[in-house]
Amino acid sequence: MLYNFNDIKNLKDQLEFVDTAVIPFVSADLDEQALTHANDIELVQLVTIQLEKQFKGRIFITPAMTTVLSDTEVLKQYQKQLYDYGFKNVVILTHLNLDDEFNSIRLNQIPLQDMSSDIKFDLVNDEVKKVMKSIISIWNS
Amino acid sequence: MSQKVTRRQFLNYSLMGVGSFMAAGMILPMGRMALDPLFQDDSEGSMITTSVTVDEITEEPMQVDFTFEQEDAWYTSEVTDFAWVYRDGNEIIAFSPVCKHLGCTVTWAADDNNPERFFCPCHNGLYEKNGENVPGTPPTGPLDQFEVGESDGFLTIGQVFPNELV
Repeated sequence: MLYNFNDIKNLKDQLEFVDTAVIPFVSADLDEQALTHANDIELVQLVTIQLEKQFKGRIFITPAMTTVLSDTEVLKQYQKQLYDYGFKNVVILTHLNLDDEFNSIRLNQIPLQDMSSDIKFDLVNDEVKKVMKSIISIWNS
Repeated sequence: MSQKVTRRQFLNYSLMGVGSFMAAGMILPMGRMALDPLFQDDSEGSMITTSVTVDEITEEPMQVDFTFEQEDAWYTSEVTDFAWVYRDGNEIIAFSPVCKHLGCTVTWAADDNNPERFFCPCHNGLYEKNGENVPGTPPTGPLDQFEVGESDGFLTIGQVFPNELV
């Protein structure tokens, strides 16, 4: 499910099946690391699209949450809100190194800019598989 | 010997010549337009050619990717999708990987306890090889099928239709 009108309209009734929220969490600092961040954001987007295709019926992907200076205050509030709404799991998809209070899946940093589209496709797919395994293990735990 | 062409004849011939050019100039484009639909490729129901040859397909379901252009309000994007394809006698069967429960993607033999079934990881849905949903698991209907065809030895994939094997 995605954060759009039609999906959210039915979300409350489907919480029995859609029990996992995924928050893509990215950094948008415009500092020396900006180029890396730009790449990371692209990867997070690509992974999210694939993830939605694979797990449409059990995960709810929120809009990507953006931060600066690695501030996690808003994320904390959002996580609480999602748990209160009724989600059993809230998973954060990110490149940042988060505290243990968050259930986060860390993505690899892949320099997508220099790659031919075939290789890019393969690498992104590997990343998606890794994330899928992590999510399945959360479900089975 | 030489036949004299009268003024009347000359005018007749030249009028007929010019007239037929004018008529042709009008009728040909009209005719072309009337027949045009016959020359158009049917873009809606057209088959997408995959990179997999028909000979490669075995009785074990395999994932076959295909790419098509999708128009989404303002922009067109290239979408890659896939089908589960296997051979059943002389027939080729292609299933849509979309679970009939809530739309997750199903995988062949992903569950160790059910090596000969399609498995949906979201809510442990199961389907038999012919796409039939296993009773007692969440899915409410069998997997959809794709139209399949062959073009120069390569597998082509068309529209989705409800399962006809069950």
